[in-house]
Amino acid sequence: MRDQLKASARSGLIFGVVIIFLMLFGLTKTLSDILGELFNLQSITRTGNSGGLMLLFALLAWWAGSRAAKEDKENWKAVLRNGAVSGLVIGSITALFTFLVGSLDGADIEMRTYLAQLDRPSVQFLLYGRSIIAGALMTFFIFLIFNLVGALASYILETRHAGGYLQKKYLQIKDRISGTSIVVRYKEHPQSKWIGYGILLAGTLLMPQFLGKYWNYAMGTVGIYVIMGLGLNIVVGLAGLLDLGYVAFFAIGAYTVGLLTAPAPIPIQWSFWPVLVISILLAAFAGILLGIPVLRMRGDYLAIVTLGFGEIIRVLIRSDMMSPYLGGPQGVRDIGGPSLFGISLSNERAYLYLIILGILLAILLTNFLQKSRVGRAWMAMREDETVAQAMGINTLYYKLMAFATGAAFAGFGGVLFAARNQYTGPADHTLMVSINVLSLLIVGGMGSIPGVMIGAFVLKGLPEVLRELDIYRLLVFGALLVIMMIIRPEGIWPAPRRRMELHESGLEEIPPDESLIGEEG
Amino acid sequence: MSILETRDLTKRFGGLSAVNRVNVAIPEGAIYSIIGPNGAGKTTLFNCITGFYPPEEGEVLFMGKNLTGLSPDRITQRGISRTYQNIRLFPAMTALENILVGAHPRLRSNFADAILRTPRQRAEEKTALEKAMKLLEFVGLKGKGDLLARNLPYGEQRRLEMARALANEPKIILLDEPTAGMNPNESRTMMRFIENLREELGITILLIEHDMKVVMGISEFIYVLDFGQLIAQGSPEEIQRNPQVIESYLGRGAA
Repeated sequence: MRDQLKASARSGLIFGVVIIFLMLFGLTKTLSDILGELFNLQSITRTGNSGGLMLLFALLAWWAGSRAAKEDKENWKAVLRNGAVSGLVIGSITALFTFLVGSLDGADIEMRTYLAQLDRPSVQFLLYGRSIIAGALMTFFIFLIFNLVGALASYILETRHAGGYLQKKYLQIKDRISGTSIVVRYKEHPQSKWIGYGILLAGTLLMPQFLGKYWNYAMGTVGIYVIMGLGLNIVVGLAGLLDLGYVAFFAIGAYTVGLLTAPAPIPIQWSFWPVLVISILLAAFAGILLGIPVLRMRGDYLAIVTLGFGEIIRVLIRSDMMSPYLGGPQGVRDIGGPSLFGISLSNERAYLYLIILGILLAILLTNFLQKSRVGRAWMAMREDETVAQAMGINTLYYKLMAFATGAAFAGFGGVLFAARNQYTGPADHTLMVSINVLSLLIVGGMGSIPGVMIGAFVLKGLPEVLRELDIYRLLVFGALLVIMMIIRPEGIWPAPRRRMELHESGLEEIPPDESLIGEEG
Repeated sequence: MSILETRDLTKRFGGLSAVNRVNVAIPEGAIYSIIGPNGAGKTTLFNCITGFYPPEEGEVLFMGKNLTGLSPDRITQRGISRTYQNIRLFPAMTALENILVGAHPRLRSNFADAILRTPRQRAEEKTALEKAMKLLEFVGLKGKGDLLARNLPYGEQRRLEMARALANEPKIILLDEPTAGMNPNESRTMMRFIENLREELGITILLIEHDMKVVMGISEFIYVLDFGQLIAQGSPEEIQRNPQVIESYLGRGAA
């Protein structure tokens, strides 16, 4: 029972924090207006639709309540208790927040200077146009009551022996929805997934035509991160080698294309395509070079050494010593772009197509590798290096291959990045790049190709979408990441395998064994 | 002629000789056992044979060739498989994938084959998968190929580990306490299974075992280790009567 209450309180806390964030950025107002329009609710204040706000809160509370009810579906007392705890937590947090902003506003403090969305009308709106106490209490009770309602509703409707007619109807409808046409047909014919892929591909290929210059550029950045993510996915997700110096290979790709196509600092100006191949090969070679000294390191030690490698590359390209060859802090300018049959492809749209092509290639390669002897050897190494070697796997060779493959992807990303900007410099190659790529893997779901894409979009695309929230976007973004890792630790779209690992509880598990094989018994 | 032989094999940890001048010789097609009290050096002997520990002295001969100093992957490639006392599967891989990893030394397709999906690679994958399915059936895990190894019950994990070792198509298999943690019934099944390995697949077997019923039931010859040294060897009947063995198992004065 204590565990249940704790779980309900935690779920309430998450809901509460999310709702406060919604309020801080004025999203509550937009959502309430939409709801108000939909249900034709009367506006109480001029600033926004208060009826809509109440409805929004009620719906959120309903959702929270039904989530809390899932802790123990069988016992109506427990359902009510869990719903109440969740409601109390959300209610008190949000009411406290509205009380606080209300009081500050009442004391004539201009909160607008700190938080753009909290001007006087917005505060009035959050208080439903009433006094501070009344507004805060209303918020509190809406959350409490509708949490209970949501919890009870899900108990009555979902617990098999609890309800009567209503429940039967509900379950019928539920079955019908999950049983109708498209869903079932999709499940019955696995070929239909190819149709799905086809539609997705067509959409992706058409997308650049409809996006403007800015969004084509932004999506291109996302795409470059997808490519790098797929590469790091092989190193970290498949082979289990935690590489924190991934940016080094990105830099090698970027600088190779820079030095070999730009007029300065080295007067070589080759055309883009051969340089692309050279850059990728060079990055892969660098991956092997890095691999050799760290072959015998495992886990944390490997992470630290690769971290150092990334920094070495960055310091080298910044240094005065190398500046005659690498351009120093100014970087490399006028990097040449690709052209095809005499037509220059140096515009945002063409680059986006090139990037999409690169992603498709990367997906294909990842897929092939994953389902091959090589991929299995990598996975075995990740699971248990000692035993992998005892299975006849030359672990040294396969580690080098993993580093080289990952590095090649990063090098490719670097080439596209530098050529697209027609410039590259030390500022492009900070530790943040490595961290971003690793985070997008974790956010999207390690080992999953759609996960990598979603992760890249969330990490590089969402900050662009949130640009309207301006200076707070990174704050929101950080909060979203924290919340996501709490409620979905396996990532947004995890590989089926990882989902199995984290959610298939109750089955017999053997504890991981850290000891060497040398125990006597 | 013996398929596996050690000559004066010695492994020291600091001042302690975990394995001290041990000579064993296992003829092809035989079932031999190594017994001894806890800490006698049995698993260390296995680790020396399979290349995990480089021995300080002596050598390991496999089919007349010296294995000493080779890395574990090379030794496995020659045709020596093993299982572990505390099961060591790849927990987050499926049963089938575990077996396919075991078949690694018998497959040829390389990195280029994988990224280009050459016909050679696809043909090889297909036969490998068929073989793996057969092995799965052989160890009685038919239909469980897609389950994660960690989600199989204990007994099935043991058998999966065995299948993984067999995928290497070994000439000899070293089994480290195959019946540990099993009830008498399961032990008997395992015994029959081990005998089957020899009868059907013609694999030589060397096992470490504590369960005396199992040891006496299937071994043709037994080595007894204590404090890293061979203190006795002989047929099961001889070992049962050997006063030194009884003493090391039951303590001084019992004999």
